[in-house]
Amino acid sequence: MKYGMVLGCAVLVTSTAFAADHGPVFSYATPVNSERELSFDTGIFGRYGSQGTQLSTGSGFGYGVTPHLTVNAFLPASFGSGNLPESRIVSGSEWSAGASWRFLHSVTSVGKRIESTASLGLVVPGPQQETGVLGSLHRAPGVAGTLVTGLASRSQYVWVGAGYTRFAEAANDRRPDTLSWSAVYGYRPSRLRRGYDQWDYRGFAELTGEHTGAVRSDGVILPDSSSTTVWLGPSVLAIFKNIAIEGGVQGPLFRDVSEPVYGRERIRFAINFSYLKYSSHTSSH
Amino acid sequence: MKKIFALGFLALSAVTARAEYQQVNLTVFGMDCAPCAHAIHVSMKGIQGVNTVDVDLNTGLVSIKLTPGNSAAMRQFNEAVEKNGFTHKDANIIVRGQLSGSAQSPFLDVSGTKDRYALTPLTAGTDISGLVGKMVLIDGVLPKSVKGKVSDTLRYKSVTEAK
Repeated sequence: MKYGMVLGCAVLVTSTAFAADHGPVFSYATPVNSERELSFDTGIFGRYGSQGTQLSTGSGFGYGVTPHLTVNAFLPASFGSGNLPESRIVSGSEWSAGASWRFLHSVTSVGKRIESTASLGLVVPGPQQETGVLGSLHRAPGVAGTLVTGLASRSQYVWVGAGYTRFAEAANDRRPDTLSWSAVYGYRPSRLRRGYDQWDYRGFAELTGEHTGAVRSDGVILPDSSSTTVWLGPSVLAIFKNIAIEGGVQGPLFRDVSEPVYGRERIRFAINFSYLKYSSHTSSH
Repeated sequence: MKKIFALGFLALSAVTARAEYQQVNLTVFGMDCAPCAHAIHVSMKGIQGVNTVDVDLNTGLVSIKLTPGNSAAMRQFNEAVEKNGFTHKDANIIVRGQLSGSAQSPFLDVSGTKDRYALTPLTAGTDISGLVGKMVLIDGVLPKSVKGKVSDTLRYKSVTEAK
């Protein structure tokens, strides 16, 4: 009940940036904002494990400076604590600001794009886990970068991407460097390839993975504090003009995690809402 | 008396006949989802003088109809596509303008904008020599140009004297 209320409030009041507006909910994707487009994301991401449930939420904002350059910011919030390993692919515990640059953009046919996007951002500690290995660490800012490439079409979507986050040291403590990766396949059945003034649906199969390095506390590397996990699950995206709702669930495919340290993470789930405000501004002649 | 009024009205209409785009059809590349189409719709509607915009996601066709008396320029339609990260093929347009130059080297001036096109026939054998100096209505194809530019050549399918 307590978590239900928290979840409800979180969805209403705040938002997350783990889904880059209208794309897969867990994985990296290439789309950036149109020029002068403002995007807003809100949602909740949950991690359920043997030592509790951790809910992350926040507000994500993006602004298209050019058709290929978007600046973005993420304001986090989190609730509960599962004593779980660090995660950047579904972050909810860092303030962040950065930019995404779509450096490859091949648009040569109707309804299809091949593109690659690189992102770089500064992450600053936000809400901290209440307990567990990461709950007692002094934390410092870090730098996060991602690289994603893929194809978007009316029928199919394929994206692969990877990200790396490195944190600075604070009072002889350092959070683990994090390497994240994802591969996602999306499909829109032919009968759902409808007009833009009707609801637009597509389904995804999302594969995500993450390796977190060892945690350093008071200058000492904590034993068994690194982790590697791989997750797989479905998600669905529904869009109507400039609003999008997406949700998904993932289960573990592979876990190399110390259970005494982090417990056993069993399920990840996410719901996200996006609002896109496009600009009608055009130059006069 | 009625004839005098009618003649006067026709003469006034000829004097005030404006050069303008009446319809622009673009096949846009790269739109895969509803927000893409919505973005194009919003951008096109933001151009002063645009009356209706229809976007077909499956064919990529964006059909724009303009209100009489508009002063929209072709560059604005291109920008509306490019600012959303898309490109487009040749544009099919219906435009009214002043036919200038000569029968061998005709030009179309869309007054009220800076748009001026060299005219070439889409199919050989079309004689437009009798229309030079007149206000004409052209149904033609504007070839795709590099980003940020508008083609300076309009390939016409038909040229008729504007009423």
